[in-house]
Amino acid sequence: MILFSLFLVLMILISLSMGYISIPIMDIITILYGKISGNLQIIENTREVYLAVIFDVRLPRILTCAGVGAALAVSGGLFQGILLNPLADPYTLGVSAGAAFGACIAILLNLSAAFVSVPAFAFTGACTTLFVVIFLSYSSKNPMSGLSSNNLILSGIIVAAILSAGISFLKFIANEQVSVIIFWLMGSFASKTWLDFIAVMIFLIIGFFISMFYARDLNLISLGAKSATSLGVNLKRVTIILLVTGSMLAAICVSVSGIIGFVGLLVPHTVRFITGPDNRKLIPLSMLAGAFLLLFADTITRAVLPHEIPIGVLTALTGGPVFCWIFKKSKFK
Amino acid sequence: MKLNLHDISFAYHLDIIIKDINCSFVSGNFYSIIGPNGSGKTTLLDLISGFLAPCTGKIDIDQKPVLSLSTKEIAKKIALVSQDYTINFPFTVKEVVMMGRHPYIPRFSQPSGNDMEKVNKMMEVTGIRHLQDRKINELSGGERQRCVFARALCQDTQVLLLDEAFSNMDINHTLQMLSIVKQSVKEKNKLVISVFHDLNLASSWSDALLMLKEGEIKAFGNSQDVLTQQTIKDVFNVTSIVEFNKYVQAKQVYYPSI
Repeated sequence: MILFSLFLVLMILISLSMGYISIPIMDIITILYGKISGNLQIIENTREVYLAVIFDVRLPRILTCAGVGAALAVSGGLFQGILLNPLADPYTLGVSAGAAFGACIAILLNLSAAFVSVPAFAFTGACTTLFVVIFLSYSSKNPMSGLSSNNLILSGIIVAAILSAGISFLKFIANEQVSVIIFWLMGSFASKTWLDFIAVMIFLIIGFFISMFYARDLNLISLGAKSATSLGVNLKRVTIILLVTGSMLAAICVSVSGIIGFVGLLVPHTVRFITGPDNRKLIPLSMLAGAFLLLFADTITRAVLPHEIPIGVLTALTGGPVFCWIFKKSKFK
Repeated sequence: MKLNLHDISFAYHLDIIIKDINCSFVSGNFYSIIGPNGSGKTTLLDLISGFLAPCTGKIDIDQKPVLSLSTKEIAKKIALVSQDYTINFPFTVKEVVMMGRHPYIPRFSQPSGNDMEKVNKMMEVTGIRHLQDRKINELSGGERQRCVFARALCQDTQVLLLDEAFSNMDINHTLQMLSIVKQSVKEKNKLVISVFHDLNLASSWSDALLMLKEGEIKAFGNSQDVLTQQTIKDVFNVTSIVEFNKYVQAKQVYYPSI
């Protein structure tokens, strides 16, 4: 836990120093220390351009990226717990398709002039999808099968399929804007601001608190509906609260940075090998690991590669094979 | 302590599973429910445990309707060993047994010394102490059932519902678990209701038998009255010989080969 936190801090520092203008790590520490302690004299003898690069460009992007990675990993852990499936991810319920559909509409109607509208539309799309999926799989008559993992996964797949057809249609009629849509869908952290960071952090903090509050109940859900209920878990309430929490986390991530796959699937799944399935350990550690991993990937695409490639593509291209390897290895251990 | 069922009926859509059941269970007794597949045995337990709500009628535990209690309050009164003992994530045996203490451990707190003591004791009596660090999904069916059984014992409730809790255990472990249960019924005045398929075990271990057929009570009372060639023919549609066995000190059922 502490080790992972240290890794994350180190990664943030390294990431800050790397880029088009490289800044020595010692300078970064001095600058950050000066800003936090309010001791502006220390900063005076560093270069002005460093300050601008750090505070206006790199830090918001890096922190947003870490926040999104953390939120995706927590969300993935929640979904895997609720859906009783170690291969579920934040997008299983179609949240990403909903967000993408919302974003496509915003881009198509050329609302991107107003700064917040694309993320806002994406967020609305994600929430609407979630409620449609919950509505589809909920039945007040039969408490046993309502909201069961099979119902949820099935409704999620149906809704996502309809929405991706919708996205294809929007792309078809979009003409020259189609490239904007495609780039948005692939995900990026380029030109993220402090506003994005604050939005992600608010959701992350609330979501993390709720997840930890119900972490033990989430453990018990894996015993099956009947046993969990007989041990005092209010199954329906816990399921809905955690579903909404997980989906909100995924929704804010998608609206801020587009669709970034594999973090939500890979991180909780891998961390489970270290911590075991106990969500009280799994969720916090996944959060740190997710932040670390996504920041690592973003730093590579931003500072190491000659051209910035979309982060969603990078995580899937590197995460996929890693996942295959872990999967194969763990299966036959 | 007394558990009363008044005019209980239950239906999934139009299929009536339980029809107008009236009966009482009193603590200090071991009850067995017997009946053919699909006769509503499990549904009856689900209704008692509050997992399902009856369509008509009500169930009282000490004059209080079960459904008026919160799930947490029910969990401190009624424990259930369900038929479905698959666990989806690789928790260790100890973690699973500790889950039995869930209703007693406040949020964000660690298990107390008392909780640990109970968990260790129950793992000891059910003979799974040596498995405590093993992963639950790597164990055999019978071992897993013993873990689930230990978990229910840790719940420390007045009422224990067993839904074919011994179905995968060998005879040695079945008898061990039954004697643990029987002992707690007699010494701690607990109430146990168990679904059985083995009529002979049901007869020799329980104080009273409840025979279900198509959601209705066909017979309810001590094994002497309930187990007869006639009732077994009516309910299970098999020919049998029923006689008192002096070694077992209970009625036993024998099935001639055709």
